[in-house]
Order: sequence, then C-alpha cells, then structure tokens
Amino acid sequence: MSTPVVELAGITKRFPGVVANRDVDLSVQAGEVHAVVGENGAGKSTLMKILYGMQRPDEGVIRVDGAEVAFKSASDAIDAGIGMVHQHFMLADNLTVLENVVLGAEPRRGGRLDTRTARARILELSERYGLGVDPDALVEELGVGDRQRVEILKVLFRGARVLILDEPTAVLVPQEVDELFASLAGLRAEGVAVVFISHKLDEVLRVADAVTVLRAGTTVTTVPAQGTTPRALAELMVGSELPTPETRESTVTDVVQLDVQHLSVRSPEGRPVVDDVSFRIRRGEVLGIAGVEGNGQVELVEALLGLRASTGTVRLGDQDVSGWSTRARREGGIGYVPEDRHRQGLLLSASLWENRVLGHQGRRPARRGPWIDRRAARADTARIVEEYGVKTPGVSVPAFALSGGNQQKLVVGREMSGAPTLLVASHPTRGVDVGAQAQLWDHLRTARAQGLAVLLVSADLEELIGLSDTLVVMLRGRFVATLDPAGTTPESLGSAMTGAAA
Amino acid sequence: MSTAAPERLDPGPLRRAPRVDGRALLLAVAAPLLAAVVALAVSSIALVVSGSDPFTVYETMLAEGSDLRSVLITVNNGVPLYLAGLAVSIGFRMGLFNIGVEGQYQLAALLAAAAGAAVELPAVLHVLLIVLVAVSVGAAWAGVAGVLKTTRGVSEVISTIMLNVIAAGLAAYLLATYLQERVEGSNNQATPEIAPSGRFPTLDAPLEALGVTLPQGTSLNGFVLVAVLVGVLYWLLVGRSRFGFDLKATGLSPSAAVASGVDAKRMTVTVMLLSGGVAGLVGLAQVLGDTYDYGLEFTSGLGLTGIGVALLGRNSPVGIAFAALLFAFLERSSATLQRIDVPTEIYVIMQGTIVLSVVVAYEVVRRVGVAQAERAVRAATGDRA
Amino acid sequence: MRALPSRRSRLRLVTGLAVGALALAGCGGDDSTSSDSADGGGSAAPTSDVRVGLAYDVGGRGDRSFNDAAAAGLDQAVEEFGVEKLELSPNASGSDRGDNLRSLAEDGFDPVIAVGFAYAETLAEVATDFPETTFFIVDDSSVEAPNVKSLVFAEEQGSFLVGAAAALKSESGNVGFIGGVQTPLLEKFEAGFAAGAEQAKPGITVQTAYLSQPPDFSGFNDPAGGSESANGMYDNGADVVYAAAGGSGVGVFQSALAKDKLAIGVDSDQYESVGASNPELQPVILTSMLKRVDVAVFDSLEKFVNGETIEAVTTFDLSNDGITYATSGGFVDDISAQLEDLKQQIIDGEITVPSTP
Repeated sequence: MSTPVVELAGITKRFPGVVANRDVDLSVQAGEVHAVVGENGAGKSTLMKILYGMQRPDEGVIRVDGAEVAFKSASDAIDAGIGMVHQHFMLADNLTVLENVVLGAEPRRGGRLDTRTARARILELSERYGLGVDPDALVEELGVGDRQRVEILKVLFRGARVLILDEPTAVLVPQEVDELFASLAGLRAEGVAVVFISHKLDEVLRVADAVTVLRAGTTVTTVPAQGTTPRALAELMVGSELPTPETRESTVTDVVQLDVQHLSVRSPEGRPVVDDVSFRIRRGEVLGIAGVEGNGQVELVEALLGLRASTGTVRLGDQDVSGWSTRARREGGIGYVPEDRHRQGLLLSASLWENRVLGHQGRRPARRGPWIDRRAARADTARIVEEYGVKTPGVSVPAFALSGGNQQKLVVGREMSGAPTLLVASHPTRGVDVGAQAQLWDHLRTARAQGLAVLLVSADLEELIGLSDTLVVMLRGRFVATLDPAGTTPESLGSAMTGAAA
Repeated sequence: MSTAAPERLDPGPLRRAPRVDGRALLLAVAAPLLAAVVALAVSSIALVVSGSDPFTVYETMLAEGSDLRSVLITVNNGVPLYLAGLAVSIGFRMGLFNIGVEGQYQLAALLAAAAGAAVELPAVLHVLLIVLVAVSVGAAWAGVAGVLKTTRGVSEVISTIMLNVIAAGLAAYLLATYLQERVEGSNNQATPEIAPSGRFPTLDAPLEALGVTLPQGTSLNGFVLVAVLVGVLYWLLVGRSRFGFDLKATGLSPSAAVASGVDAKRMTVTVMLLSGGVAGLVGLAQVLGDTYDYGLEFTSGLGLTGIGVALLGRNSPVGIAFAALLFAFLERSSATLQRIDVPTEIYVIMQGTIVLSVVVAYEVVRRVGVAQAERAVRAATGDRA
Repeated sequence: MRALPSRRSRLRLVTGLAVGALALAGCGGDDSTSSDSADGGGSAAPTSDVRVGLAYDVGGRGDRSFNDAAAAGLDQAVEEFGVEKLELSPNASGSDRGDNLRSLAEDGFDPVIAVGFAYAETLAEVATDFPETTFFIVDDSSVEAPNVKSLVFAEEQGSFLVGAAAALKSESGNVGFIGGVQTPLLEKFEAGFAAGAEQAKPGITVQTAYLSQPPDFSGFNDPAGGSESANGMYDNGADVVYAAAGGSGVGVFQSALAKDKLAIGVDSDQYESVGASNPELQPVILTSMLKRVDVAVFDSLEKFVNGETIEAVTTFDLSNDGITYATSGGFVDDISAQLEDLKQQIIDGEITVPSTP
C-alpha cells in the first residue's frame, strides 16, 4: 500500500468531563472513498473537526502525505488540501454558482474579480469530475443535489485533494443519491480521497471502498466494504445484536380512528399542495406515507393538526374535528411527533419538564385548574425519562443539552402520554442513532398493539416498509399508489415515489 | 449527527440563563456582580472625565440616598417605573416589543383624571372607576397594535411608536379643548382636581403607627401597594399559570408553541391588552396620589425608561422591582449630586451603563451556563460530542 | 418661553448609551452649578447675607435658552450684591421639581426662585409649609399666597412687534410662525405675532405650526424638526418665519439661510447668541423677540436685597423693557420708526394685543 494521503494516528481528544476521541486511527488513501460510521456520540464529529483543523487533538498525530502537520484552523487544513462539505449548505441563495464558488477565494487581476479565469476553472473542474455544474445558474433556482455539487466544487476550487462529506445523503432523494455517487466515482477516478460520514449503512456499502467503525469514541475496526453487510456494520457500531423494524403480525382492528375525506390544502399562491386526499386509519393500524420530500406530506400533517387551513372533513373517532383548533385536536387525542423537533417539538432552552408540559398545557398531569402543576409535571417527566431511556442527569436540564436521540425519545414519550388515539409521526427516527431508533420502534409497536392509530411519514424506506400496515405513495399532493408493505422493497418503493411506477 | 442544538439555539438576551445543579447559584450571582463591576468602572471613568472624584460621588450618593426623605422619594418615584417595567416585560416574555407604553400611560392618565374629576362617587368606587378607566384606555390603545399585528402583520414596534405619536397629539388636543379647567394667571393646562373621594390614601398613617417620623411634606404614596399587588399577580400569571406557560413557550419558540396548540394571534392580542392595561396604571400613582390632575407638567418619558427597567429586571417581578428602585435612586441622586458640582446628566449615563452592563453580563454568563449544562449532561450520560 | 422638559436625555438613555460618556464631557462645561459665595472674592466684592435658591426647569443651566436667561440674572445679582446662591435642576422627567423646591426652602435659602410655570402646583404646597420664605415664580401668576411673587411676561406684545417687522419686510405677503410646543404660553406668542403682522399689512397670510404636543416637549430641542417645518413654510411662499421654539430655532435659521429667506429669533438676542457660534446665520436673523427673564430675576433680587416692597405679580412688558425686540445687525433700522410707533401705541393702550389665537 502506498503512503496514505491522510493519516490520523492515536488521536485522543478530551473535553471537560468526557473523552470524545480515544486512540482513534484513520488512514485514507488517494483515490479511495473511505466511510466513517458510528452511532450519534461515537466521536465522528469530533474526529472530523480535528481532521478539518477546527479542533486540536490532545494526543496523536495527523500526517498528510506522510508528513506530520499541526492545523491551527480550518484554513490550515484547506492549505494542506483538506476540504469539508457540511451537512447544511453554506451557499448564498441570491448569488450565482460562480460567485458562490469564488466567495472568499477570489482570483484577482488588477484588484478586480477575474471572472473569466474563475469561469474557466469551474468549467474545467466540473468537466473533469463529472459534476455538471453551470457557473451562471442562480443558486436559489438549484435543487438540493445541484447545490451539493456546488459545495463540492467550492472545495475542489480551493485545491482540495481530500474531501470530507458530512452526512451527504441525508437531504437527498434516492435518485439524487445515485447522482452523488456517480460524482464520487468521478472524484475517485481522479485520485481525490473522500471521507464519507453516514448513518445509512446500505449507502455506505454501495459507495465506499473501506469503512472505519467508531464506537464510544474509539475505532472498532476498519474493514473493506466488499464482503461486509449493513447488518454486520450496524452490529459493530452498537456492539451487539440488532433489532429490525419488521412487524408482520397485524394488530389492525375494524374500528376507524381517523377518517379523512377530500382534504385539500392550498399554497399561499392558490396552488393545491394537498389535492383532494381521502383515507382512513383504523385502530391498531400504521399508515405509512412515502414520497419525495416536498410532495405535500408536511402540509397534510399540519392540516391534520389544525396548523394549516384546509378544506374537506377530518373525523377523529366519532367526532368531526374539521373546525377544531390545534389545541382542541391535540386534547382530543392526537399525538404529534413533528418532523423538525427543534422547530416544532421542543423549547430548546427550557427544561425537560417544561418540555413535557408543551402541548399538554391543558391536560393532566401538567395542569391544575388555571395553573401549571410543576410537581406533577416533573414527576411525569421522570417517568418518561425512565420508560424511554432518556439519558439525562435530571429533568431540570435544558433540552438543548441532550443529544438528538435523547431529545427525540423525550418528544415521543411525551406524545405517547395522555393516551392518544392517533399518533401523527413525521420522521420519528430521523437523526437518531441505531440504538435509540430500535427503542423508538419498540414503543411504536407496543402502542399500535394497544390500539393506537398511527400516521407515519418517513424518508427512511426501511422504516416505512417495516412498520407500516398499509403504505401509500404521495406525489404532487395526491395519493398515487397504495402498496402492501409485505411485497415492497426499498427499491420498488423508491421508484414509486418518483412516479415511475405510478 | 452531533447535538446540533447549541449552534441553533438563540434564546436572545432577554431570557434567563438556564439552570443546572448547584452551580446555578454561582452563575446567578456572577451576572449581577459582573454587571455591577463593569457599570461602576464605566461610571467612574465618566466621572473622572467630567472632573469629579468618583469616590466622593458614590459616598455622597449613599449618604444622601439613605436619608429617610430620599428613601421615600425613591420609593414613590420607583412605583411608576416599576409598573412601566412590568408592562414592557409582559410583552418581552413572548418577544413582543411594546414600545407604546409611553403613549398608553399618558392617554390613560389623562382620560382617567378627567373621568375622575367629572364624577362624585363614594370613596372606594370613585378610585375603582378611575383605575378602570385607566386600565381600559391603556389596554385599548395597546390592543390596536395587537390587532394590527394579527390582522395586517404590522410590526408592533412600528405601530406602537406611531401610536405614541397619535396618543401625544390626541392627549394634547383633548386637554387643550375639552378637558382642561382654566386657572387665571396660569400657563398650565390641567384637568380639574379630583375630589378627595377619588384620591388614593397615603401610607403615612401606618408608617407613623410604626413609629416612623416622616419629614415634612414627604409622604409614602399609597400606590406602592398597587405596584406590589400587580407584581404578585404578574408572578402568578407569568410564572405559574397555564397562560404564563403559553407566553413563555411562544417567546422561546413561536413555531413550537403553535404546534403545541397555542393560538398565536389570540396570544398576541391578549398580551398587548395586558401590557397596555398595566401601562394604564403607570400614570395613576401621580394622578391618584400626588397631583390629583393631569396637566402639562405631567411626568413624561416613563414608558421609555420602562424599557430600560424591564431589560435590567430581566423580566422577573422581583428583578424589575430592584431595577425600578435603582433607577429612581439614581434619579434622586441627581438632585444631591449637583450640590457637589457633579453634572446632573451623570445619572442618565449611570442608568444607561447599568442596563448595557447587565445585558452583556447576562449574555456572557448565559453562554457559560450553556456550556456547563452540556458538560453536565455529557458527564452524566457518557454521551460524546 | 420654554418651560418643560425635552425628552432628549431620556431618549439618550435608550439609544445613545455609549455616546453618553462623550456627551458628559460636553455637558460638564455648561454646568457650573455651585454654591458660590462672594465672601471668597476680592476685597472690593460686595457682600450680603442673602442666600438665593434657584430651581431651574428641566434642561437646567446650560440650555442656552430660558433657564440660562434666569441664570444670567442670578449671576449678575451675585456679582453686584454678593448674594450666595444654590441652583438645582430637576431630573429629566421633572418628577423631582417639588422635592428640589422644598429642599431649597428647608436648607434656609430665601428667596427661592422657581423658573417655569410647571412649578406652580408644587409651589402652592411648599409656600404654605414655609410661610417665612419668599418665593418667586416665573411665567405663572396662579399661586395665591402672601409669600409668593409672580414674574410674568407680556410675550404677545413683543411678538406683535416682530410680527409687524416680519410683515413690513415680507415681499410675498406671506409669513410663518413656528412654535416649539403647543401650550397656552406659546399660543400667546402666536396670537401676538399674527396680530402684529395683520396690523402692519392687512390681509397678510400667516402660516402656523408647532413642533410637538405636550407632554412631549421635544419641540423645544428639535433643530431638524424646526428646519423641516420652516422648509415647508418657505416653499409655501413665506419669506419671514418667527421661530418661537427654543433650541429648535437654529434649524429654522439654517433653513432660512439655505432658502435665502429671513427668520426671527426668540427669548434672547439670537443674532448675538446663535451668531457667536454660527456667524453664517447672522444675515438671516432679522430680529429677535426679547423676553428678559434675566432682567426679571435681577430686578426682583435687587428689590429683595434692598428690602423694597415686591408686588404679588410683576408683569414685564414693553413699558418696562422686560419685553422688547432686538436691533442687532441693523436689519430693522429702516422700519424702526414704524415699530417704535406701534410700540408706543401698545404702551399707551391704543392697541390691545390679543393673547390667544
């Protein structure tokens, strides 16, 4: 084997009270796609920050092309040829691709931006790596996949030979993932090394040459991608046998809990974003909604919660709740696990017990007359922490201090409180690590067995197939297909989502 | 994948630092202490620049300020500042900026004084009527901004500033035309005096019963009791009730509050009404307990000072009380300091410096608190960043 | 003419905290507040055991307007009679006017001078509590107590004369009045000005504007507002504008300079006082309506020191030169005969000047 383009050896990083990385080794060859996987909190983030110069290790060495280096900042890393594409894009919407790419690294001639050189360079890079980027397109008009390629180009423009991609597929639909992977193949062919961080083990195995598994802050092993399976990787990550979302034993009853007829939602411009949708969910049934993001799922969910104006009727049990306020609907038995827990599910700087009260202000145990029953709320929060295994030193810590998985457990635990009859769950395990995911699935299954009706929206196709009793595909505001999860594979579902099989 | 929370978190300067374990106490003490040190330092520099000896100045302030008359004056002047601070703070709680306390209290005080002078009623009823008029007018005036925000999306900052201008014009017009009583030889314009039945009793008698000898011509305004009552109600409503929870939730995250079932529009209107209602009380300490009328010399500017008081008091009823008393104390000091050749403007600089120091100090301490909370959770759970 | 607070200091609290420290350095120069005693002076300095307490209105000493006029009268008395003095200014909201007045009386100052009508209400009370102390109040005659002496002005008379001057100088037949704050006091200025203009040129157009409404007294310290308002009047055809607006007057003068028109000052001789720092404005200051608060304060103190009887109400008007108009710059020399004639008619009672518009 030749000299690795980047090598981390014996990296240890301590934060007060905690060791984030302990004796981590990572070695990446030129022209290699090297995946780094691990649960949330396994130390991936810290490791990447060290590699990208944002953190300095307490122990261990970083070598680039065999020579030891010490990065003081990200710009040192860029100078050494290491670039990072963040999960959240950092592009200015109202500028062109060219302007975004050169921002901060402007080629100049006589003090002025040398547009011609920049354009030539961008076209050349785009051509060489097969990125297909138009330098004059306005960023706000680009899709997610295109934006990501602009980000990659931005890093290459600065001379990167090592590219760190942080959860690059989290925001992409399957077809865009394919395009990304094609681009990565182009990079690999040109000798660029790619460090690829991901949760999605099947994707990792599709694209990576080697996989390094982190657990509890240290490297478990590095294995070649060939010959390993997602399941084997997941077990390495959690260090134990793995659960699956499979729930084949039906608990569906005959009692209709949610009956939606001719539901439509219009955008502010008057365009129908949910277009005359009708469906029923029975007690003990999970209805899964598959679809590429932006096809009306968000609007459908918000209409059901009364957060968005809609037409049509919504019946919950034997009551017509169409005209009800959000609070009345929630108190009438709808639990809600929002897609974005930071935006809709939590008060980040408030304590856990206050977050327990959120959405339950009008109900026991949080309420006593016109007052908030602080003692009861604390006690019930402690119960959720216990039952859902929320890792926290107490119920008074602010919610932001918890990891994403633990925040989500708290949200799900809260929404399962107060005996809901319908749970509307959007991406209930998004951004949650494997262990927590399994726990949340367990809770959903238990509640379903007890007669809970569940509307499940998810981008995790395995989750959808595994948990749902019925699957519908949503496209451009309509339900275009109903599938039996028993005979559905992620691949067939993926093509149904884009309308190919509709 | 990592806890993205800290980066996204922006609770703003108006919210309290989060509390974790025993260190919370240390943090709670650290912020005001830091603020005090910074404020003292800056004020001292200002004093030196203006040619005064800071130590003499502080000594004089303390010596004169602890005199019984000064204490009573400070408390009396602190009452309207306290009410103004509370009025502003109710809005702050949910991120609403009621800049209009100024106009609300002036219009309320004028109409309440005029109504009080126009009728003769038994003592308690008379006072209640005046208070009711003031609260209603203040609430209605603020409510306009609330309705404009919910129906037309007009920023309450803009609308309340505009409403201040309109209130000033309206009050001046009403006073000049319909509501004033002409007094020969006077260049003032004022409403007729309220009959004794409509005046708020002073607390002089109870104080004297306690053995306190009041300096001549100095009283303790009975409205102190009203201020205390409003403070307690504020604490119950904001700190303990479901409504208060909705208020806090809306302030911390409007989207999460709406998803939890809070009706944002209704909340906005309700909060503006409450804020305006309390604002309506601001001028009554003077109308009911001191001048018994509303004239050109009516104290203005309390609504704007109230913003500083609310910021300094950090939205807590006790904190606002301290802030109001501190501001009143500094104002009082301006009278004593000019006897030792200190420019009177110094107290304005001190007030400003204190507010600024407090805002900055709490932000610094908040950040320390955030980092501490995260460490505490990591240490307790073994989670890694 | 001005009597109540600008809210400048309060706004500064919210907006200009950082600037505050700098502003202080500037303020320091104006605040020579002290309990000067003439005893420490040279051997020729006169002495007196009279101790004068003076309570300014909001803005205090250094406002280059109303309060400063009172200060000038007091300083003159200190110089000529060797009286001792203590001056107090209220806080920005004016909430401690009464406390200041009371503490001066309590500390044994006699006489105590209250500058501004806003003191009337508290003075009634304080005067009762200190029957042995003599109180003077400027701009108010509503307090009826044996120990309260009122010093009031016939501002409408002076305004009448400058109104006539404006009309005589106007070529367009259109003049303007800008009041600082719309109070009864300022309406006296307006009424006199309009009557004088009408007298000199019947049928003349008089535009009127006020910069703020009470209790917002920012109109006395809003040069930008004054300038804006004056621009409007000049654009509407006025060629002389009377700025009865304290510190806002500078804005009116600047507007007049920019538009090549004329303006009239108020209270003090603004050709001199404004011209001292802004000589470029002198050519546009036609005249100023002089309200001699300094004379009133000094005369009253003189009588007090000499033990003369003091009337319950002393009115300062054209007849005793407590009210007059300025001739600096010589712009009104050509019409002085007409003005003097009008002045005499007023003194003789042939013309009665209205005091409400």
